[in-house]
Amino acid sequence: MRESGVRREGEPMTDELLAADVAVDPALLREQVKEKYREVATNPDGSFHFHTGRRAAAHLGYDAEAVESLPDQAVESFAGVGNPFVLRRLEPGERVVDVGSGGGFDTFVAAGQVGDGGRVVGVDMTQEMLDRARAAAAALGLGHVEFREGLAEELPVEDGWADVVISNGVINLCPDKQSTFAEIFRALRPGGFVQFADIANGNRVPAEAMRDIDLWTD
Amino acid sequence: MLEDTGFVDVRISDPFDTFAGASGEEKARAFAVYGYTFLARRP
Repeated sequence: MRESGVRREGEPMTDELLAADVAVDPALLREQVKEKYREVATNPDGSFHFHTGRRAAAHLGYDAEAVESLPDQAVESFAGVGNPFVLRRLEPGERVVDVGSGGGFDTFVAAGQVGDGGRVVGVDMTQEMLDRARAAAAALGLGHVEFREGLAEELPVEDGWADVVISNGVINLCPDKQSTFAEIFRALRPGGFVQFADIANGNRVPAEAMRDIDLWTD
Repeated sequence: MLEDTGFVDVRISDPFDTFAGASGEEKARAFAVYGYTFLARRP
């Protein structure tokens, strides 16, 4: 683990990757992302280029006891790329926004960490994921969890509401990353944390590949 | 980009081999793609 600021050989070219805003048509990318995750929501056992469900959670080092406590309905559409909780565990009572909450897995893990005195709002743009997450939340009887339809670039949360914003494998798929980070900043109270997992490349991606929309989602 | 937005105290985790064993592993290896956790604070 290291502090930011100096990139050493072999470390991810995070800035270069994240700076690749709008190399493809943003509306088309958003539709392709929706289509991909609609498939994960409705057919979680399908064939994907990433791990899903309990296998993904175990692979990414989630707390086994926390995962075991959740029903299949809450886990099987999980498609994260990392673990947003490895650098900081949430505190009881915190108010959390989960950007791109998908089927709700990270939202439910967060709900367990903040407890009944906290609140967690999951935000997603794919209706099928929202349906799945809301059904799982109802089955779990979680009164402090809510799912709202929205975009990462326009979070349906008032200014400064959140103590913490989490996300997992979502920001790399956002067409306008600068707006996404600005929106997360707006939603956080002063002193609040953003803790998110995402992918970054260590080798430079050729410009023609950056413009290939299939490579963003496949 | 986080610091450009105004965040401070940025930390990055060790890498996760996110795609190991998945069908996307070959493509991930080609571009050295790994998962990371990022932590930062709004001042």
